[in-house]
Amino acid sequence: MNVIEATRLAVESIWANRLRSFLTLLGVIIGIASIVSTAAVIQGLNKYVEEKLSDLGQGVFTVQRFGIITNRQDFLDAIRRNRRLRREDAHAIRDRCSSAKTVAWQVRSTADLKRRGNELLGVEVSGVTPAILEIEPFDVADGRILLPFEDERAVPVAFIGNDVAEQLFAGVDPIGKELRIKGTPVRVVGVAEKKGAFMGFSQDNFVKIPYSLHRKLYGTTRSLRISVQTADSSNMDYTMDEVRAVLRARHHLRPGQEDDFDILTSEGINNLWKSMTQTIFSIALFVVGISLVVGGVVIMNIMLVSVIERTREIGVRKAVGARQRDIVQQFLIEAVLLSCIGGAIGIAIAFGAAELLATYTPLPAQFPAWAPWVAFLVCTSIGVFFGIHPAKRAARLDPIEALRTE
Amino acid sequence: MTEPVIRTKGLTRSFSMGQTIVRALRGIDLTIERGEYVAIMGPSGSGKSTLMNLIGCLDTPTEGEYELNGTSVAKLPEHELARIRNKDIGFVFQSFNLLARATALRNVELPLIYGGIKPRDRKERAAVALREVDLEDRMDHRPNQLSGGQMQRVSIARALVTRPALLLADEPTGNLDSTTSKEIMALFQRLSEAGNTIIVVTHEREIADHAQRIVTIRDGVVASDGPNTVATTETSAT
Repeated sequence: MNVIEATRLAVESIWANRLRSFLTLLGVIIGIASIVSTAAVIQGLNKYVEEKLSDLGQGVFTVQRFGIITNRQDFLDAIRRNRRLRREDAHAIRDRCSSAKTVAWQVRSTADLKRRGNELLGVEVSGVTPAILEIEPFDVADGRILLPFEDERAVPVAFIGNDVAEQLFAGVDPIGKELRIKGTPVRVVGVAEKKGAFMGFSQDNFVKIPYSLHRKLYGTTRSLRISVQTADSSNMDYTMDEVRAVLRARHHLRPGQEDDFDILTSEGINNLWKSMTQTIFSIALFVVGISLVVGGVVIMNIMLVSVIERTREIGVRKAVGARQRDIVQQFLIEAVLLSCIGGAIGIAIAFGAAELLATYTPLPAQFPAWAPWVAFLVCTSIGVFFGIHPAKRAARLDPIEALRTE
Repeated sequence: MTEPVIRTKGLTRSFSMGQTIVRALRGIDLTIERGEYVAIMGPSGSGKSTLMNLIGCLDTPTEGEYELNGTSVAKLPEHELARIRNKDIGFVFQSFNLLARATALRNVELPLIYGGIKPRDRKERAAVALREVDLEDRMDHRPNQLSGGQMQRVSIARALVTRPALLLADEPTGNLDSTTSKEIMALFQRLSEAGNTIIVVTHEREIADHAQRIVTIRDGVVASDGPNTVATTETSAT
């Protein structure tokens, strides 16, 4: 008997027990659907993060008091060891690192904004040196970005995000208008292009003011985040070494002593992100693996039931000349087909879920192109692995006994 | 050419039931020539079913020789036996054993599928076989749309479709009423006259009387073997 004939038989048999087949497949369906959906979400996030980081521009790195810290002990060590980065550190880098093209810095705090009785709570207010807007470019919707002299003289001006513009200046052009930060009136000179939300968090809820103004309003205790753009992006390591040498000298670190600051590159952030999502994915894979094993066992179970139900049929087939391998083939193909149908339904559900997530939730899900193939492979393996035992059992039936069964 | 279809010598079959060994067949010598119509009779427990399973290559003997169509089949492996069942033997069962989900045509095609015949030839040959049993207008019916007699005729068509050397029927009328039984026996008669070799296993004298030769098994040995004297008169009477 050839494969086409056996497949036809399997389809007939599965179709004859539609409801049962479907229930049998739930485990596989759920398993495949959830793993592919997870992969879709992670792929979407990865793509988003990659795009974000590429916004940062080539050959840019930042110097911060704390880098990315992923465990408590590191955090405690860093608090003890790392010093606040001050304006003098930033100046030293600017003045002494010859390979750095642009050096800019910013400090962040949150504030409640007021304008004529309107209040906007918890807005991110960062004090920036205007050069930061060259390194992390903002698309200006209206007005202009901050200018260097405004930082030199601590002019009370602000470049605001779209949310702030819409909520504090509903219906009016905000350019030239004032808003109050900690009671100080600040004039709006520019509005940024809308960026939208990511994971439910708005990216347009910010105010950028000159660093010197921020210093006046909030004092000098906050640590700076210093961004450095190298003149030659292929030689970023050299610039990083230069920056490190300057800061170590300023902080009087002895050779062998650890750095008391952290340097972050977009590549580093990306790698960290990738390793995080990979961890999430492998945990998901493990959980779903269990569901697939359960799904496989259910398929095996139903195939065993099917063998018992069809004992007589198997006897007839053997009597008219079916060999053991014909019977094995028939049941194995049925198990594989069953499992692959489950996989196909799972894929369809995941595809729909990814589309829905991308459309109706903040999660940027993206259906992975490899998923159908991998699911097909996985389901075939499940079918073979869990189908072989029932199939062999069917094939080994004694035709005489089988024909005698009622 | 004159080689017999079946030749057995000292055919023995024992089953071990725990400690005791049951000897179902104790040395059967039987020769059946091409074109013969033979009834194998015997009460239940006589060993006739065991003999039928051996003749049908569903089982292998503990001891003794069995030549089917000139080939010794006593020691063949499973897949060879399957091939012989497919090519040389057509089974007709008491309970028809048709596949419930398949049409009459598909049921008759079944042996050809395992024989590796191409789909188009399969359909043609199955249709021919169904015509021979007068069921050409029932080809697309499923077993549950057929009467008992029709179902048995489908199963006879299935047995005939490979043009086997031997038609082996096990109580073919056991599930049929007497009128239908007579129809089926008449069909066997016709097939016999057309040159088919037929063995009918039965415990009913009336059925056995349709055959040309009656072999009686008792306690695992051949008790009697001879031409049936009433055969011709009985069939002409029906």
